[in-house]
Amino acid sequence: MSHRRDNEMLGDVAANLATCALAIAGRFAQGATLWCWAPGAPQHAQHVAVEFVHPVIAGTRALPAVALVHDDAVATLRPMARSGDVLLVVAQADALVAPTLRRAEAWGLTTVWLGAGPRPPDGAADHVLWLSDDPVAAHDGRMVLGYHVLWELTHVCFEHPGLLDPVTPDGPVCTTCSDEGRLGEVVGSGNDDDATVRTATGIETVSTAMVGPVRSGDLVLVHAGTAITVVDA
Amino acid sequence: MTDFLYPFIDREERDAGALLSDLARSAEAKAATSEDLRRATLAALDHELEGAAAAMAARFAAGGRLFTFGNGGSSTDAAGVAALFSRPPSGRPLPARSLVADHAVLTALANDVGYELVFSRQLISTAGPTDIALGLSTSGSSTNLLRAFVESRRLGLLSVGLAGYDGGTMADSETVDHCLVVRSDSVHRIQEVQSAVVFDLWERVSRLLPEGDVHGQ
Repeated sequence: MSHRRDNEMLGDVAANLATCALAIAGRFAQGATLWCWAPGAPQHAQHVAVEFVHPVIAGTRALPAVALVHDDAVATLRPMARSGDVLLVVAQADALVAPTLRRAEAWGLTTVWLGAGPRPPDGAADHVLWLSDDPVAAHDGRMVLGYHVLWELTHVCFEHPGLLDPVTPDGPVCTTCSDEGRLGEVVGSGNDDDATVRTATGIETVSTAMVGPVRSGDLVLVHAGTAITVVDA
Repeated sequence: MTDFLYPFIDREERDAGALLSDLARSAEAKAATSEDLRRATLAALDHELEGAAAAMAARFAAGGRLFTFGNGGSSTDAAGVAALFSRPPSGRPLPARSLVADHAVLTALANDVGYELVFSRQLISTAGPTDIALGLSTSGSSTNLLRAFVESRRLGLLSVGLAGYDGGTMADSETVDHCLVVRSDSVHRIQEVQSAVVFDLWERVSRLLPEGDVHGQ
């Protein structure tokens, strides 16, 4: 029989699902695409995408959602994803996930991690929706319940357009001056002292005098037109 | 512009607190409904699951393979069933694959012979009398599943069907050896509990097949 314990089905995740649904609905209202990625279990990503694209409830809005069925989500997302999109990862803790979420953050995506099993560290995504410590939840219907509920709640939010206005996301903070720092991906190096960086707000040239030479693909924290740190991807 | 359609919509609403509380309560209620349905379904299907698991284990022990299929969300659940048996979280991998995995085959058949034959034609080309066909449908009446079960009977496969609502056409079909019905009228709750049912089925089959009982693929 199932290993499930009583009343464990959604645990304490209901409030997080609610907050996440409102954020996703807000992004959709601004024209976002929902990218769905489930490394090792691509059927979950496809199930989420089909829920949004072809809703089972008649009259419900069809929304742009795309399943990424290959393990290398970064390669697909880099040319396709736009700032303001959403990346939803459905996965157990996996070495591939954290670096992909970090890069998506640099591109200006809102990140969501729905999973079960050993818990990821706090802050691994904008919204961490952890259904259970039991990895079996990925197989026995609880993961399906998690994304069904997320879909249902997102659509409820469309009945509240006044709550879907864009909000300014909190960025990482510059350690020396506590001012805002923005994550960016180096897309080209100029001369020795500057580089072209892609951030949530677009492409910009930043000084690399503080960090030294950078390579295409490096993640940097940008503050006041300067790359102040190279961030571990 | 749509105010006459949705008179309850308040465009000036700014405090999200009430909505977030409602959403969280709604999530908990849906989870409770899903859990109640899971318990009731597994209890109601206990005898049928035992019979289906014994028949499947006998097929696997004889070298049989599992082929799974479905449409839309159910196609992804079918892929999940194939993955559960072939790459299980514990125990011995069993030969299983999904008939929705290959886009070339699926679109070739849909384009050339019709969507109602996309699964039955694959069974004709690949399956034999020791194999197992497992199809998932929420309505229980998807034409391409019914056609696949007719072909399964003709080829000598063991057939297992998962349905929702009242079982649809599948429940009365003589070509479905084991029909497992999740009695609900919510597509979402049906799919969640169908996943629980096939997980239970996999656990039962695993218990009936000790290590070493299955010959290679």
